[in-house]
Amino acid sequence: MKKKIASLLLAGAMVVSLTACGTGGSGSTAQTGDKKGDGGAKATNELTVWCWDPAFNLYAMKEAEKVYQKDHPDFKLNVVETPWKDIQTKLTTAATSGNLESLPDIMLLQDNAFQKNVISYPDAFQDITGSGVDFSKFAKAKTAYSVVEGKNYGVPFDNGSVVGCYRTDILKEAGYTVDDFKDITWSQYQEMGEKILAKTGKPLLSCQAGESDLIMMMLQSAGGSLFDKDGKPDMVGNATLKKVMETYASLVKSGVLIEVNDWDQYVGTLTNSTVGGTINGCWIMASIQTAEDQSGNWAITNMPKLEGVEGATNYSNNGGSSWAVTSASKNPELAYDFLSKTFAGSTELYETILPKSGAMATYLPVAESKVYGEPQKFFGDKPVYSMITDFASKVPSNNTGVYYYEARDAVATAITKVVAGSDIDAEIKNAEDTVNFAMGK
Amino acid sequence: MTKGKKFFAYTFLIVVSFISVFPLYWMMVAATNRSVDVTRGTLMFGTALFDNANKLLGSQNVSTALINSFKYSTIMTLISLLICSIAGYGFEVFHDKAKDRVMSVILLAMMVPFAATMIPLYQMFSKARLLNSTLGFILPTISTPFLIMMFRQSARSFPSDIMEAARLDGLTEFQIFYRMFLPTMRSTYAAALTITFMNAWNSYLWPKVIMSDAKSITMPMLVANLTQGYVTDYGILMLAVLICTIPTVVIFFLLQKSFAEGITGAVK
Repeated sequence: MKKKIASLLLAGAMVVSLTACGTGGSGSTAQTGDKKGDGGAKATNELTVWCWDPAFNLYAMKEAEKVYQKDHPDFKLNVVETPWKDIQTKLTTAATSGNLESLPDIMLLQDNAFQKNVISYPDAFQDITGSGVDFSKFAKAKTAYSVVEGKNYGVPFDNGSVVGCYRTDILKEAGYTVDDFKDITWSQYQEMGEKILAKTGKPLLSCQAGESDLIMMMLQSAGGSLFDKDGKPDMVGNATLKKVMETYASLVKSGVLIEVNDWDQYVGTLTNSTVGGTINGCWIMASIQTAEDQSGNWAITNMPKLEGVEGATNYSNNGGSSWAVTSASKNPELAYDFLSKTFAGSTELYETILPKSGAMATYLPVAESKVYGEPQKFFGDKPVYSMITDFASKVPSNNTGVYYYEARDAVATAITKVVAGSDIDAEIKNAEDTVNFAMGK
Repeated sequence: MTKGKKFFAYTFLIVVSFISVFPLYWMMVAATNRSVDVTRGTLMFGTALFDNANKLLGSQNVSTALINSFKYSTIMTLISLLICSIAGYGFEVFHDKAKDRVMSVILLAMMVPFAATMIPLYQMFSKARLLNSTLGFILPTISTPFLIMMFRQSARSFPSDIMEAARLDGLTEFQIFYRMFLPTMRSTYAAALTITFMNAWNSYLWPKVIMSDAKSITMPMLVANLTQGYVTDYGILMLAVLICTIPTVVIFFLLQKSFAEGITGAVK
């Protein structure tokens, strides 16, 4: 028996030493990792940032580091590439377990999820209202995404202003130019779309079935929201929402709008020339430009507006993100100063990142910049970037709140059923019930 | 089998193998094409492989991710095989009522989804200062009910005569384990190795939650990074997926024969 115990102990010891070996062997990486990971918070001149997309956000952050380093040569930025979904998981895990230490100084949050996170985890974020960041230099609709109870929690970054993109060569076949699509209504859009479909056999617009992006763009363009100011669902009796659903269903029925199954297919319709255009956040232009052989055949203008709805405009927003400073930051003053002198104060930064990444800003002063006014060959030699910055300033705000994603999903389900022939009012009621259920009411 | 039956059987098999092989073929095709050609649905091998490789190496730290993935997976596989095989062997060979009860508790643990234990685990690990460490990566899955059960099942078929003979010859219990059991159960170990290595190699959620340093990136994290952003470059993405798949495929093919034996039972 004693031998048994001894051998078990030995085996146990072996395991432990093996494990120790494991950490020992990797010690160099793991430990430097620790230093780096927390270092951003500990060292006085270093900040840690989490964000995604190397070609866009990471690139912009690294350029911002260079801009800030001009006046602060000791400054160092530790940028950790983290996909958005993982930022959300890590934030949820850290905040729910009450251990915020592992969070970085600055992280990028999707605008659509910004208020939800600040409301759910108020301890995790710094109120940056009085931190020296000049919020008046951003489009109001954009800053609104990161405002909770009148306090600012985010520095706006990339632009999600909606653009109408059109294939000029396809429009030409039906005798139209892109100017015919400027400042129009949805019924004019559908009318021209039907003619183009008859002439060329190509629909004018494609979108993902079961997604509510287009619906939300239409809704916001008229200043509509799925929630009222108090955060209560506002769907039943919401005339704007009803009009949006009718417009969408009519577009699908006419064949001007085709629904595809997933995002990859959607991008495929653009690059394969199956459709004559698209309406989406301006970031879609990066995907369009991967089809180099279509250079010069694309043009942009604003989106169509809803008819008979008060406050309807030709401008909206889809997507976008903002920088948040976390309460884990040991040196928030440095984080504020860095953000206010770069993303909220440096035209130079935005001028540097635009040509290489197409990273559109919401920082209003850049609209007059020369770089933004450069004509773009791909888009018919038009200064598309300054056009978009101008669009951004005209977008009406949208209330997101905590249950925005749930509401979007409910609306997506509703529109799928409406397209299949269900009654609009009944489906809107269903959607509101679903959201109320999710909210525990 | 009649001719007609044979015909249907083969048609069925051909269709099924096509369905399972096609995605792999498409992954390889996509890795050699430009992103725009992938979205246009090409099925022919392209010429953009080197371009994609250059861009992938330029934007992501592939070597670090590969080294990390190998390191974590190897350490995890070795330790977890050792622990689980000893545990499974012990549960079977020295079983009594109490141990059987413990075993059923362990099996019950199999039913608890990881999402439910993630936050408490994170709390424990951050308090123990194990974030961003190899130990933190491997500890939660170092012993899995599935492996323990697998070794317990195979220990059941281990002939007790051999054990008794060994005891008479004066071997200690531990010697019996590693001199008699371990060599006989080679194919079970091979199967367990394949399963554990694949799980470790593919693990994503937990590593992502506790590793927040750019230097501890693993292959699945790298692939996830590539799917983010406004433009997904499908050529580069598929090349990364291809690189990520190769090691598990190699291990599987090397151990294929033993794997099949190990799953069906090691002792004949």
